[in-house]
Amino acid sequence: MADENDNERMDDNQKSDKMFTLKKWNAVAMWSWDVECDTCAICRVQVMDACLRCQAESKKDSYGKQDCVVVWGECNHSFHYCCMSLWVKQNNRCPLCQQEWSIQRMGK
Amino acid sequence: MSTPARRRLMRDFKRLQEDPPTGVSGAPTDNNIMIWNAVIFGPHDTPFEDGTFKLTIEFTEEYPNKPPTVRFVSHMFHPNVYADGGICLDILQNRWSPTYDVSAILTSIQSLLSDPNPNSPANSMAAQLYKENRREYEKRVKACVEQSFID
Ligand SMILES: [Zn+2]
Ligand SMILES: [Zn+2]
Ligand SMILES: [Zn+2]
Repeated sequence: MADENDNERMDDNQKSDKMFTLKKWNAVAMWSWDVECDTCAICRVQVMDACLRCQAESKKDSYGKQDCVVVWGECNHSFHYCCMSLWVKQNNRCPLCQQEWSIQRMGK
Repeated sequence: MSTPARRRLMRDFKRLQEDPPTGVSGAPTDNNIMIWNAVIFGPHDTPFEDGTFKLTIEFTEEYPNKPPTVRFVSHMFHPNVYADGGICLDILQNRWSPTYDVSAILTSIQSLLSDPNPNSPANSMAAQLYKENRREYEKRVKACVEQSFID
């Protein structure tokens, strides 16, 4: 499922000055991790609940519902969108597998 | 006031209590959850064995997006520990990930004691002895272990 993005990803890797280069990525490799994938590894709250930041601010959007959504990367790791959007500003890699971060889907 | 960083640290503390890793311990200071005291016990089968090394961990409101500042309070003789107790460890600098918690930080430092990296030395004397004169290195480390009982 990630095949069509491989070329793009290689270009990104060449640009960044890292100690290793991802030549090819096999998305299937991460499934064993799935037992715990219900928890956002950044804030340690279940992804279906609001993230710690939204809890702290008890943030609701103008429609009165929590707009704290879940985001899945091409690597199949999921996080709160809030948590991940802060992290990718610093480093555009999945914090769990170090793969270049690209969003596969978003939602609840 | 409970910020996201403070809430995350409460979770870290809970996890450390419920699932304590062997050979490390840590807790927030009484009046400030942003400053922790920790202890790392010297790993078995290393010259650090039997030592109880104290550290402080200082977090900012940007945690876990930014790593905390970790420092040995106990005197250390180690290739990757600076004279002021600062630690040269990639995961506390450029390889930091926001998925790490206090438990992961302390166990990484513990494994640094077993496996120094003499190629990025913070203490060049320790790095040199580690590479060239292991007996003298171990002698110096053992002196730190004894010192750690006192302070
Ligand atoms: Zn989160
Ligand atoms: Zn949120
Ligand atoms: Zn990932």
